[in-house]
Amino acid sequence: MATPTASAVPAAPPSLSLPPSQFARLQPHAYLLAHLSPPPASNQPSIRANGRAPAQFRVTSANSGSLTHTNGSAVVRVGDTTAVCGVRAEILHTDDIASWSVSQASSGNTHKRRRLGDLGGKPTEESDDTYADAQDDEDRAHIQDLNLLVPNLSLSTGCAPGFTPGAPPSSLAQSLSHQILSLLHTSRLVRADDLRIWYQPPNLGREDLERHNEDEAMDVDAGPGAAGLSKPREIKAFWVLYIDVMIISLAGNPFDAAWASVLAALRDTKLPKAWWDIDNETILCSDDVSQARKLSLRGFPIASSFCVFDADAAAAYRAVVIPKADEPKRRGFKQTWILADPDGYEEGLSQERACLVVDKESNGQGKTVIVKMEKHGGWIIDTEDLRQLVSMSAQRWDEMKQILEQC
Amino acid sequence: MNDRRRVNGPPGGTRPPVFQSGLQSSNPSDRPRRQRQPAELRKIFLKTGLIPSASGSAYLEFEPSASLAANRSNPKSMIPPSSALKLTCTVHGPKPLPRSAAYSPNLVLTTHVKYAPFAARRRKGHVRDSSERDLGVHLETALRGAIIAERWPKSGLDITITILEAEDDRWWGEPPDSHDASWGIMNVLAGCITAASAAIADARIDCLDLVAGGVAAITEDVGASHSGSGRLMLDTDPAEHASILSACVVAYMPARDEITELWLKGDSSKAVLDDGDSRQGHDALIDGAVDAARGSYSVLSEAVKESILNAVAHA
Amino acid sequence: MATSLPSVAIPGQRLGSVAAYAAGPGTHIQQANIYASIAGPVVVDPAPPKTQSKSTLRVSRVIPAPSRGTLSGTSQKPRYNTLPAIDSIVLARVTRVQKRQATVSILVVLDESAANSDPSKSASDNDNVASILTSAANPENHSNTDELRFQALIRKEDVRAVEKDRVVMDEMFRVGDIVRGSVISLGDQSFYYLTTARNDLGVVMARSDAGNMMFPASWKEMRDPVTGVGEPRKVARPF
Repeated sequence: MATPTASAVPAAPPSLSLPPSQFARLQPHAYLLAHLSPPPASNQPSIRANGRAPAQFRVTSANSGSLTHTNGSAVVRVGDTTAVCGVRAEILHTDDIASWSVSQASSGNTHKRRRLGDLGGKPTEESDDTYADAQDDEDRAHIQDLNLLVPNLSLSTGCAPGFTPGAPPSSLAQSLSHQILSLLHTSRLVRADDLRIWYQPPNLGREDLERHNEDEAMDVDAGPGAAGLSKPREIKAFWVLYIDVMIISLAGNPFDAAWASVLAALRDTKLPKAWWDIDNETILCSDDVSQARKLSLRGFPIASSFCVFDADAAAAYRAVVIPKADEPKRRGFKQTWILADPDGYEEGLSQERACLVVDKESNGQGKTVIVKMEKHGGWIIDTEDLRQLVSMSAQRWDEMKQILEQC
Repeated sequence: MNDRRRVNGPPGGTRPPVFQSGLQSSNPSDRPRRQRQPAELRKIFLKTGLIPSASGSAYLEFEPSASLAANRSNPKSMIPPSSALKLTCTVHGPKPLPRSAAYSPNLVLTTHVKYAPFAARRRKGHVRDSSERDLGVHLETALRGAIIAERWPKSGLDITITILEAEDDRWWGEPPDSHDASWGIMNVLAGCITAASAAIADARIDCLDLVAGGVAAITEDVGASHSGSGRLMLDTDPAEHASILSACVVAYMPARDEITELWLKGDSSKAVLDDGDSRQGHDALIDGAVDAARGSYSVLSEAVKESILNAVAHA
Repeated sequence: MATSLPSVAIPGQRLGSVAAYAAGPGTHIQQANIYASIAGPVVVDPAPPKTQSKSTLRVSRVIPAPSRGTLSGTSQKPRYNTLPAIDSIVLARVTRVQKRQATVSILVVLDESAANSDPSKSASDNDNVASILTSAANPENHSNTDELRFQALIRKEDVRAVEKDRVVMDEMFRVGDIVRGSVISLGDQSFYYLTTARNDLGVVMARSDAGNMMFPASWKEMRDPVTGVGEPRKVARPF
């Protein structure tokens, strides 16, 4: 019974008139509600307290490659939330991997051969399913099991009051780090092949030929000539990518900005040419930029987060059971709003969140692929809403792709 | 040791890449050269108020050196020739002191300086190391002398600096075992002081004056005819000098002609300044650092004035 | 001398001599000169006529804001730096009610200047809607936000001016109520002391047991508009 009237809280509380800033602070819920539900007579659209339409994302900008000591870096600003990501590559020798065995080292070789024989270039995975499956397992085995991708996110930067600098990572920072890690793994963004450093042992019997081929054979992306040699190539080391995200300014929705900065920084990342040096028994790198390679990332996953604002502030207190299916859906009366890219104020006023990560096939021309879909904290978003969120995320994808490609 | 609150890399650890060119003894002529006059400072970019959730904030960036700018516009080597300071500073407060704190009639200042893991040539850990703590203490001293603390009873002010890119301590081509002090930290401190002063002004905390940081050093030319002859240089980029004998950083308040913090490293007593400069080494250093601070003050005061004029214009 | 005053000042800027002006907020005196100690517009408050005193020179913490229609406009920043002082009027949320006292968390310190002019026109440090929107709006479940707010106590004897000995704290305040109070003392290291012993002080906003906003029914009762049930409170007189 109380439900419909709770939403009828007028724009100002009845007892006294307050300037908007005090109203915003004292009655945040009623303040946001008053904005979202303007009096029907005024014929105004529903608008958020920050001036955005419910489905509107904040203005986003990106810039990459400005940090000197990184292999790749990016700064992404989504409204007033700013994430800086730096990628640093270090080397993991297979000798330093306790579980490493020779069989593992050469197991990748068969696929490698096949690939080289296949097209002589990078195959598109869609074209060869069996190949993709095999490569999947291998990627997982190497990237995930050997921890080749190491993302960490820090909020201890003074980005917002309440995060003590110097303290261990807050639970929010820990959770964001792990979300990034799991998204890196499930989206298979980075190819394990880009991170392998190969070594072709010389075939002593054919020394002349070997001399001739030396340069090529030591290269990671060896030419087809290498396939003809008798000794199997082996992995001597891996690149490990330390992906550090500093949230410089936090004004809500850190994940979208953090992920965008990770994606942009990885797109900017260049790895030097590296080889096993038999004399020094170590991996050496060339500092020549022209020999360095960019990563060839799989796809372009973009994250979009949403929150649900419920007009009935006390709903959370009263709700003790999952609502029955026959209960009338309150969305009909516009009592809940799904807000895209929530700011800090809106995040504090909502329980239910959703996060979608989508990609589009064939560089944006093909169909939308859902990479990740997550929703928690309530039951207001239903199947139909999710469908809508997917299409909103797909629109956001176009926008973000343009921004990140130009940075 | 495994930190369970962070994502850890491979348990066996990883090694930074070794460049083939770094194995051979590097050619001293590859060292970046200082293109500026001895008293010429690098340009500073300083902007306040970029972080809305803080009561005050500032972003500071040093102009890249000529060599770094060249390598950026036309990249040849994966090894950057030098680096350029980039940092953000936020001020939170005045806010209540923690419950456990004793009563204080004054504003309690807390400073915190942290390098991003990717800030320097060598990867920094997530936990503050001694040099970062050191920087925090020096910064606090520099600021405490400028803030009028009794206007804010029983409250605290948190100043947090995140260094996104640090200064080099020496040229990367220098042999790794060269016994040189870490000179870069002094430039970092000077930048921290200037940025923090801007952020405090942005937060409208009462101060006696803006406080600016400046660095000067006595350098020795490699080809010098007699050893011990030094030149006074302002705002030294350690990568550009083969030998720094002594360096000094000050926090300086121009309106009052007061130094709130002074840090001098190295041995300046034996240095004989050329060009007929008869000053003692340390006198010349302090004077030089103050001159450098005056230079950064002009940027600082402009940035603070600009932000207030913008605010008035927008209101 | 008055002609040479700048329109805005930055910390450390000399504004004038103590011979000509008195030093107001945002300034300090050094060697018989008045210097700015914060960045902001320079304001001269003329001395009241017929007195011998000098005009007061101050640097305003407040950027004059003629109109505040749009919310999304300029990106001004939050200023938590209005500290509660003695006689400040504050708005606070009740966080705990005990037999002898109520604990509150101060949300807004109202500007003294705002109190005697039209409140909707003043722009105090707290009045930045854009800035408030960047930070989390503390629903009660955010535990750490109270640590960022100044805490205060309302002792039983400071609740009201009459029938002091018949005060029952449970019938004056409930957790979650918004109270208007006046600071009577800076208190100890952790609490300020507030009083509500005036007609215009007391509970200004409260929700009923049913969760609805109540309206004031009398000086000691508020009523739920839906259920019609009244609840006892120390009610502030509405404007």
